[in-house]
Amino acid sequence: MQSRATLFAFLGPAVIALALIGIAPLIYAGYTSLYFFKLTKMRDIEFIGMENYATVLTDPVFWEAMGRTFTMLVIALPLQISLGLGIALLLHRPGLGFLKTLTRLSLVLPMATTYAVVGLLGQVMFNLKYGVVNQLLGFIGIDPVNWIGDPFNAFVMIIFWDVWQWTPFVALVLLAGLTTVPDEIEEAARLETKSWWAILANIQLPFLVPGLVAVLILRTADTLKLFDMVFTLTRGGPGSATELISLMIQRVGFRGFDQGLASAQAIILLIITIVLAQLYIRLLYRNDQDGR
Amino acid sequence: MRLKSLCSSLALAASLGLGAGHASAQMGDWTLEKAAKPYAGTSIDVVFLLRPGYEAAEKMLPVFEEKTGIKVNIIKHPYENALGEQVRDFVAGGDFDIALIDLVWIGNFAENDWIVPIDKFTSNPDLKDPELDIDDFFPLVLNAFGGWDGKIYGLPFDNYSGLLFYNSCMLKDAGFDGPPKTWADLKDVYGPALTKDGKYAFALQSKRNETQSADSFARMLWPFGGSFLDAKFRSNLLSKESQMGLKFRQDLMKYMPEGIVAYDHSEAVNALAQGDVAMITEWSAFYSTLKDPETSKIGDCLAIAPEPMGPAGRKPALGGFSLAVTSQAGEKEQAAAWLFIQWVTSKANAQQYLDLGGVPARQSVYKVPGNAEKYDFIPALVESWQEGVPEFRPRFAEWPEITEIVQEWGTKIMLGDVTTEEGAKILGERMEAVLDKAGYYSGKKPLAQ
Repeated sequence: MQSRATLFAFLGPAVIALALIGIAPLIYAGYTSLYFFKLTKMRDIEFIGMENYATVLTDPVFWEAMGRTFTMLVIALPLQISLGLGIALLLHRPGLGFLKTLTRLSLVLPMATTYAVVGLLGQVMFNLKYGVVNQLLGFIGIDPVNWIGDPFNAFVMIIFWDVWQWTPFVALVLLAGLTTVPDEIEEAARLETKSWWAILANIQLPFLVPGLVAVLILRTADTLKLFDMVFTLTRGGPGSATELISLMIQRVGFRGFDQGLASAQAIILLIITIVLAQLYIRLLYRNDQDGR
Repeated sequence: MRLKSLCSSLALAASLGLGAGHASAQMGDWTLEKAAKPYAGTSIDVVFLLRPGYEAAEKMLPVFEEKTGIKVNIIKHPYENALGEQVRDFVAGGDFDIALIDLVWIGNFAENDWIVPIDKFTSNPDLKDPELDIDDFFPLVLNAFGGWDGKIYGLPFDNYSGLLFYNSCMLKDAGFDGPPKTWADLKDVYGPALTKDGKYAFALQSKRNETQSADSFARMLWPFGGSFLDAKFRSNLLSKESQMGLKFRQDLMKYMPEGIVAYDHSEAVNALAQGDVAMITEWSAFYSTLKDPETSKIGDCLAIAPEPMGPAGRKPALGGFSLAVTSQAGEKEQAAAWLFIQWVTSKANAQQYLDLGGVPARQSVYKVPGNAEKYDFIPALVESWQEGVPEFRPRFAEWPEITEIVQEWGTKIMLGDVTTEEGAKILGERMEAVLDKAGYYSGKKPLAQ
């Protein structure tokens, strides 16, 4: 009995905090999603069942925003993984101790920068006339690019910014994975072959799988809910070019004040995120276990 | 709790009633200090924006606090957050005692009973300044910014009209003696002559937020005879006049900087201030920014005129904010809030507000000798306020939803993703869907905007 009380004493506060901060709002969102619930029409609140969900699922604007979000995900995530893996492999090589420590420290900087600040920085750096990016392009003879005002360029810009900010995170996670590879196995493999690919695929990759799964889940969830950086940088524009799903939900819920519809959109997004996370775990862990 | 609040309200009402009799006997004795005495120590909360008019009011505030003992807590927000912050506060029964109301929010706030009509206070001689002189406000501004459904809720505080700000030196160098009188001249005569050497004739701020709806889209509808809605509240965007305006905007874009759909007020003002564009149509409130040598390098080249005319007349952009007492405030806070609103928008303070960078809506201050010479935006502003359209943007409760649709499709039209007809068709259908749901077509709601 005493040990149960101790357990509860340690875990209880965390469980209660989680329930209050995470689960209660979720239940409330589920509740409001079943109602006509507009902040500017509180007198007209009424139960409408699944109507909000039907509206969301048949709304082309919602699916366009979802499409944009997944387009960003399938471009940004592989870039982050490839670049992150490259950086991790470089840092894993022996030698240049001080330089590597410095690199590891500097890798933390983009991650430590607040999303909103990244967006505001982008507004200045990608400014057509005064931005440093166009100044640099000018040095190599490239005409100024209209980053923020052109739909395609704006989308490229937010992908670039996301890759800049989160590749270091992937690199550090994978670097941590590489340090778990036993030295003797890696050294033995290096005696067997000079092919870095063979070593990566057969020796290092199995140890990287848990980190990769974590990266995939976290980065997918982060991209699906990416808001601050895009909001401060482009506000979803020009037109709808960078209106990702989270921006759309915010627009419906907090600028159109339709909390019911926005809640239904958020619940659908949550379901998609959970399904994707489960898929990653099943596919990658099964492959990993099969491989072993 | 309710009984307690009812009792205290009755007690306060009784005391106000008694005071009223007393005060009405001594009308000539009314002073702010005396009126505020029962409310000394009261704190009131108000949302301010990060704009020149609010900085001016903030500088004036210590005098009010010293005279009255009322503490005014200012909560600053950028424009884009101000509506959401206030709506959430009102829904939750929060702390705001004064509502800051953009003219397009007035229907929303009034229909939800979040604000109190001013007659509650003007009918109380203890609270009404005998010098209030409500008729001194420009009638268009008072009705558009503070009025809804025949009642006045707010007093105009931060007041704008669209004006043509231009760089007279650039125009002179190109051979022009003055600004364009019509939109057609601006595009066909001034446009080609001033767009050269990396400089542009005109910048129309069109970022996808309220700027797209108010400063860009609506600005091109009205002078050409178009409008958002017809008399039956059906979309009027496919009318010949509305289409003419929207097509004009497309044609005008060739004389604007690249990426104009990413321009907000700050970018447009900055483009003129740095000498990159020759003309902008902007709110009168940005005068102080453009005049200040620290924020503008065009100096004495800055000149101001009313917005150009279209085939339907001038119809300049109209926008601005009133201050109103919230219904959620307690009786004491309501009285204190009213005293502040009445004071900050008063005839007596209008000159100081103007001198500090604000734009008052008092007619009397613009008649003061020397003001028109000192502030060269005044003649254009006064002219614009004679010719403005109150429903420049509809002021009903559904505007927050409709403006989102306008922002999205207005930008798509500008980018050429859809033609003006296609964009107007989709925009109109979605706008009508919102209005239908609200009950305008079934007769549930009156056709008021």
